[in-house]
Amino acid sequence: MAWHRFLDHTSEITLHVGAGGWSALLAEAGLGLAELLLRGAAAAPDPENTGWRPLEVASHDREALLVDWLNELVYLAETGLWVPQEIEIEEASETHLKARARGVTVEEAPSLVKAATFHDLHVRDLADGLEAEVILDV
Amino acid sequence: MTDKTTHYPAVRLDPVCVEIPKSARPDMLVPARVWVDEELWKKAVSDRTLDQLVNVATLPGVCGCVHAMPDAHEGYGFPVGGVAAFRAKDGVISPGGVGYDINCGVRLLAADIGYGEMKQRLEPIVHDLSRSIPSGTGRGGALKLNAPELDRVLAQGCRSLVERGLATQEDLEHTEAEGSFATADPDKVSSRAHERGKDQLGTIGSGNHFVEVQRVETIYDEEAAEALGLWKGQLTILIHTGSRGMGHQICTDYVRAMDAVMARHGIKLPDRELACAPFDSPEGKAYFAAMCAAANFAFANRQVITHAVRQVFQRALGDSGDLRLVYDVAHNMAKLEQHGKQKLVVHRKGATRAFGPSHPETPAAYRSVGQPVFIPGSMGTASYVLVGTDEAFGLSFGSTCHGAGRAMSRTAAKKVKSGNEVRKDLEKQGIVVRGSTGELAEEAPHAYKDVDRVVQVVHDAGLARKVARLRPVGVVKG
Repeated sequence: MAWHRFLDHTSEITLHVGAGGWSALLAEAGLGLAELLLRGAAAAPDPENTGWRPLEVASHDREALLVDWLNELVYLAETGLWVPQEIEIEEASETHLKARARGVTVEEAPSLVKAATFHDLHVRDLADGLEAEVILDV
Repeated sequence: MTDKTTHYPAVRLDPVCVEIPKSARPDMLVPARVWVDEELWKKAVSDRTLDQLVNVATLPGVCGCVHAMPDAHEGYGFPVGGVAAFRAKDGVISPGGVGYDINCGVRLLAADIGYGEMKQRLEPIVHDLSRSIPSGTGRGGALKLNAPELDRVLAQGCRSLVERGLATQEDLEHTEAEGSFATADPDKVSSRAHERGKDQLGTIGSGNHFVEVQRVETIYDEEAAEALGLWKGQLTILIHTGSRGMGHQICTDYVRAMDAVMARHGIKLPDRELACAPFDSPEGKAYFAAMCAAANFAFANRQVITHAVRQVFQRALGDSGDLRLVYDVAHNMAKLEQHGKQKLVVHRKGATRAFGPSHPETPAAYRSVGQPVFIPGSMGTASYVLVGTDEAFGLSFGSTCHGAGRAMSRTAAKKVKSGNEVRKDLEKQGIVVRGSTGELAEEAPHAYKDVDRVVQVVHDAGLARKVARLRPVGVVKG
């Protein structure tokens, strides 16, 4: 079962996420970020396309892929006024992911999260899955 | 005397400075200095500020000491409130050492009238400010730019706004670097950064960004205040914001780019967010040019907001509402500076340049007193005007603090008081507030350190000199 929570940090927000596998962890991290992006926002079903949007990210290692994935979603939220609500990871290696997502549009671009950072970035293998921590600059 | 409150062998050098010697960790190349009194030292050791500062002391080409200002707290990569200088010839430049909000900074506007003369109009004026200045990243800022116009802003900063009637020559002369870094190159800015920034010029953003209406409450240094054109009871406006999505994306792009090439440059780091490249490498040069473009965007952003603020006050008060720009200063930047015989890349992340009277970059109007420095406190407390000192050049690469400094996480702050409670508290003090309830709770005064204490430390240390204390009367939050 995938889960996420937000940990205290003096000035930023730490996203702590866990899942049974790498694909599920990436999807859950995206949903955790989406929760922050929609905080206080007026959201509505995507009027242009209520179907699935294709998403693709490539990086040079597993940790960087997680950061780049979250930064892709920050970018789409700020420029496209769109935040995912359902995410399906179709393919995920340590350096590449293909996904599709359905979401909502927002009246104002979410400005809480500036970026996902590499600081204290962890992806840990556990006996029953993985967990990760990413500090988000807010 | 060695301090026992941290596992580092910290030694208090004087009442406002603690040093961690470079022997504290085998990979440190220089000592670390923390500018704090006893009370602020307790804050500094309460999170990972010192670990992050020590990490910075391991970066290639670092020289002198690395510094944490009295408002320093845990950030990512560098601590917020961190200062470090690297040799330009063989040292590095680090996007994480500048931060995502490149050239976040503050500017102070001063009126020719006292607060008492407009007190009765305060509420409608603050309301008009909140309507006239977009706070969040909405569907558009105050100024719509096409691609060539945006590139002009990136290349020229505030200078590009003069012919549009949004800035005056006097405004440029009263802005750090005259609001324009010639070393900026829009071609080093990604299409994604262009996209994020294209309709954000003239917006405040969220977090701790604001436009604040104030009155000058106390003057500490009459001569310096006169040079800055400040007097007790005067109406002032402080604007705090940065480069918005443009800067955020440039930092994201270059942290990623440098993370990928560090092995090629033989750089090993204790923290990936410190991702860096030699200043003299293609990656280092490209980041510096893009960062300067973001800095130009930030100067222009504060200038466009200034224009909107001026219009609000002129609508309300006519000619009495004229507002003069006292100064605009950055607090998230890496700058190429001459220090003695060395060219250094001075990173200030949550720290303010504070050059003294004799520095050639101190504006001509302020050569008798030093470069103005503005230290915003939290809502409901106070902000300070200081001036830089020649002494600071030798002590901290000409740097001082940038604010009160967070002492509490956003979650913890919200547990202490709700946004509505914070709003009521501020209203009881006669402060008119506009902003979302959630933001108010997260940015409440109790979430920050004591700005009076922070400023007293930099004053006592000689990192800057107190001139005036400003009291908020109206706040527009991002």
